Amino acid sequence: MAILTVQNISKNYGAINALKGITFEVPAGAVFGILGPNGSGKTTLLSIIMNVLKATNGSYKLFDEVATDALRKKIGTLLETPNFYHYLSAVQNLKISCAIKGIGEDDIENVLQTVDLLKRKDSPFSTYSLGMKQRLAIGAALLGSPEVLVFDEPTNGLDPVGISEIRNLIKSLSAKGKTIIMASHLLDEVEKVCTHVAILKQGNLLASGSVQDVFNQNDIVQVASDNNIKLKEILNTINNCNSINVVNEKIELSYNAGIANLAAINKHCFDNGIVLTHLQLKKSNFESKFLELTN
Amino acid sequence: MINLLKIEWLKIKNYGAFKIMAIFFAVGVVLANYIVFSVNKNVIGESEAGMLLSSYSPYNFDNTWQTTSYASGYLLLLPAMLIIILVTNEYTFRTNRQNVIDGWSREQFITVKLAIALIVAIVSTIIVILTAMGFGFTSNTNFSTSGFSHVGFFFLKALTYNLFAVLISVLIKKTGFAIGVYFIYIGIENVLAQALDTFGKKITKTIDLGTIGDYLPMNAADGLLTFPDNPIKGLIKNVLPTSYFWAVLGFTIFYILLFFWWSRKKYMTSDL
Repeated sequence: MAILTVQNISKNYGAINALKGITFEVPAGAVFGILGPNGSGKTTLLSIIMNVLKATNGSYKLFDEVATDALRKKIGTLLETPNFYHYLSAVQNLKISCAIKGIGEDDIENVLQTVDLLKRKDSPFSTYSLGMKQRLAIGAALLGSPEVLVFDEPTNGLDPVGISEIRNLIKSLSAKGKTIIMASHLLDEVEKVCTHVAILKQGNLLASGSVQDVFNQNDIVQVASDNNIKLKEILNTINNCNSINVVNEKIELSYNAGIANLAAINKHCFDNGIVLTHLQLKKSNFESKFLELTN
Repeated sequence: MINLLKIEWLKIKNYGAFKIMAIFFAVGVVLANYIVFSVNKNVIGESEAGMLLSSYSPYNFDNTWQTTSYASGYLLLLPAMLIIILVTNEYTFRTNRQNVIDGWSREQFITVKLAIALIVAIVSTIIVILTAMGFGFTSNTNFSTSGFSHVGFFFLKALTYNLFAVLISVLIKKTGFAIGVYFIYIGIENVLAQALDTFGKKITKTIDLGTIGDYLPMNAADGLLTFPDNPIKGLIKNVLPTSYFWAVLGFTIFYILLFFWWSRKKYMTSDL
């Protein structure tokens, strides 16, 4: 079952095309990252799915059905900013969320415990720090233990410990079989927790699918010697290599996943009169792949 | 609907500004009427003309409904301001988005706000009824419901002011700016209506239908409320345009429906 199906969604603000015909599907059980630089349309897309913004064109489905208000109640969402009544406490705010979702209030203590706000549960929201506000918003999304969670930049405003806690929370939610849709501009965040990804840039969908497929995890072999110019000439004759690039005084050879043979490379260089001072295998990193996709 | 109102109550019952405005309005209604009551008693009542008419008081039964409605009408800006604050707060806190994200339809969100405008108008009217009765009994006259229709006009004026507050709020979204626009609009409309009354042409020559100024939204609602006719002619101006009363009433109801429809349409079709 697809949790979310986005079909050809566009959004125009006057002459600006914030989204241009976006289509993808979020399978059940995925941790689905929507990745893109600031201003790429991530929040706009999620806002349309949450009926906060109206799409100019296109449609979307939730749980394989035409989206309705009732279906939205089955999704826990943190969209863009923590949105709460400033003069009310955490508990009073969460009571409102429960009432709108039509669920009991028994879960409130639990979620406040999960996001570590139990001690401040009766303080007005206006007295919270940025990180506490963000944690309350994550807590509100967890109310009623929904099967699907939507997190827009969930680690915004959190300190390193908070960031790590939220990542662990997302992983544990995923382990319980929940589907998580997460927008982020932090590659590292997506790399660490996501199983699937959609990449947006200036309103265009550049790629979508499983992380393995999209990032096509190549093997990268890094080499260096005292004479890199000669080394590069020699490497041009090596077999099975897809590309050769000079990066920061080192030469990077790219291979399809699993076929790089370090011993063979070392021997090839040595046989051609070059002694390597550096030889290292590394997986292609998200960052370089992301830059490759978005540039 | 009851469920929606319960949720709305969770939002406002702990809101300080709500309590303050509610108290200000209730106390204000009593105080404003007390001022009119004592001015009438001490100044007019003790003048020579007043002596001759010692049995007359604007707060005698019959008159008290009209007088209280008229005097209290000037305080309707307070509940209207409260409504602007309640609606624009949702935009400031972005909770209008969150309510929809959590599963309300846009229609539910705007409908409950319009219902609040209606309830505030009803509660304001009840306060006016109680005040009118209080002053009526203080004047030692026998209870009578004659003239009670003026309380109905007060209700229509309250509803006009409150629904206009909802409309301005969903159009402007920012609290301070919305309150500013609300007051400035009322000011401009008054000046315009005055100018049209002074310089404008009567709508018809055969029957008195006033000028176009009398049919502008706020002026139409204001025009429904007047001070009771006084036997001492000239002391208090009768501002009720009785000859075209029905036309003004019709326009008021039209504006109420217009504000209601426009607010809903705006909220349900635009980005939040």
